[in-house]
Amino acid sequence: MAPVISLHLIDYAIIGGYILVMILVGYSLRKYMRTGEDFFLSGRSLPGWITGLAFLSANLGALEVIGMVANSAKYGIMTVHFYWVGAIPAMIFLGIFMMPFYYGSKVKTVPEYLKLRYNEATRGLNAISFAIMTVLMSGISLYAMALLFKLMLGWSLTGSILFAAVVVLLYVFWGGLSSSIYNEVIQFFLIWLGLLPLVFLGLKNTGGLAGLAKKLPEAFMHSWKYLGSASNNPLGIEWMGVILGLGFVLSFGYWTTDFLVVQRALASKNIASSRMTPIIASFPKMLVPIIVVIPGLVAVAVLPEFSQTAAQSGEYNSALILLMSHYLPNGVLGLAITALLASFMSGMAGNVTAFNTVWTYDIYGTYIKKGKPDQHYLKVGKYTTIAGVVISVGTAYIVQSFPNLMDYMQLIFSFFNAPLFATFLLGMFWKGATPWGGFFGLLSGISVAAGHYILYKLGVFHYTSEMGANFYQAWWAWLTDFVVTIGVSLFTQKKAISELTGLVYGLSPKEKGTIKFYLRPEVWGSVALIATLVLNFLFW
Amino acid sequence: MEENKKAHLLDLKLPLGGLLSFYGLIMVFYGLFSGKEAYQRSLGINLNLFWGALILVIGAALLLSSFRKRRAPKP
Repeated sequence: MAPVISLHLIDYAIIGGYILVMILVGYSLRKYMRTGEDFFLSGRSLPGWITGLAFLSANLGALEVIGMVANSAKYGIMTVHFYWVGAIPAMIFLGIFMMPFYYGSKVKTVPEYLKLRYNEATRGLNAISFAIMTVLMSGISLYAMALLFKLMLGWSLTGSILFAAVVVLLYVFWGGLSSSIYNEVIQFFLIWLGLLPLVFLGLKNTGGLAGLAKKLPEAFMHSWKYLGSASNNPLGIEWMGVILGLGFVLSFGYWTTDFLVVQRALASKNIASSRMTPIIASFPKMLVPIIVVIPGLVAVAVLPEFSQTAAQSGEYNSALILLMSHYLPNGVLGLAITALLASFMSGMAGNVTAFNTVWTYDIYGTYIKKGKPDQHYLKVGKYTTIAGVVISVGTAYIVQSFPNLMDYMQLIFSFFNAPLFATFLLGMFWKGATPWGGFFGLLSGISVAAGHYILYKLGVFHYTSEMGANFYQAWWAWLTDFVVTIGVSLFTQKKAISELTGLVYGLSPKEKGTIKFYLRPEVWGSVALIATLVLNFLFW
Repeated sequence: MEENKKAHLLDLKLPLGGLLSFYGLIMVFYGLFSGKEAYQRSLGINLNLFWGALILVIGAALLLSSFRKRRAPKP
């Protein structure tokens, strides 16, 4: 099949410029990586605007961008729920309520918090499952990127995989988390600059949102109106599933416990910026639908052959690339491709940095070689980076033979995230949660998620759509974890109060109110929530 | 808190501004010298010229802000 897009010299110049800058940034950060804290946590020295943008970009990987455009081609404006319900509230909750415990407790990783608050078993469960999943995800993004560029640009699969792996390896090895964060901020700018032209052209071509509304089915243009019953809308869900499943459990489960994003907040220079990090990120996040939802709608309105083939095959992922080749001249096209490349690579780098931190501190430093000096762990971290990249390349090849693995990874992540949120919620806000309560709660939540999935696939449970099943599965897993944690905690031994200081609400020193009113996280968090409510109302 | 211990490890505005300025420049030049057929897809609008100009402005602003900070007298 001939490549869909042909690139000219200018496009390659744009791509090349980006690769060069990434490597230069990594190289110039080398001399600052003197301690473990420098390498794994950027020395806890970064300002809020950098960690905030990185926080957002770490999540805004290429798979997310392509996937969300595909979703809006498939489901219409309802896709905004993934942002306005499924992300913003959780991000704000993290910043206002949970960051004081994460940052104040000085933990280096999410599993470390579980160790301090609960016990080693809980940490181990989280650390091992997260480490495995994150390095697999890294390989999956690598493969997805190579496949996309092969299909659309005719690049060699092996060539892209190895090239991307080497570049990411270099800049993470040299600059650790800081490299990853700086490149994520660059990615943020490139994504907007690369994709906004598509939005302008698409809207101009179709006559704006009003023009789009004329060309698309009614249910495509409303986000809440058709959620009364699952059969009324293309998503196959009703409003309860959206609020409880997506809005509450799945979204909080991801944003508040996934180390890949939390790590960026932990790299902030003080507790105030760490709290502002997710809140700062929430503002551009609110606007991301502009570059993912509108292109999806435009694709359906403007590319009839795409709509037909996609409806038959269920495969909507090519929407973004087809739209790009439809509208963008060379030059701007190169910029858009670079934006996607940047997102893929920074996604992989994010996974690799999360992996090397959790491996070095939570697995190696806890179970294999304890009590060594910091320089030892710094070295281990660097070698783990190499290992992580090698494993990712290996995974990329495995995924090539078993493409279903990609779907399973997302699914498996969701088995863990939803229950984990219950474990954290109780851990941070209820003094009575005990170590064994935490462990068994988490274990039972994960088991219920897996069990629910199996029963759904066997036909025992019925839902109108796969997505509906996912949302409810997450809800039941969370509820199980919540109830079991409380239940087991009532019968097992608590930790001493002295061990819990700084980890739980009510046992932590109250922060002196030295921040000016208009800089407080609570104020900006509220602004973000109100803005989100307005947006929901506007697109009702 | 020793905030000036690391300050900004590397001023991010420098590589970002440099990259965007480079992009802006090549896109504007390409836009000036490429023929009309290139812009049939983009509804006749010379995107490289306009978008490139915007990107150049953003890149230049970042670079400027980065240089002014360096020039500012240290406390």
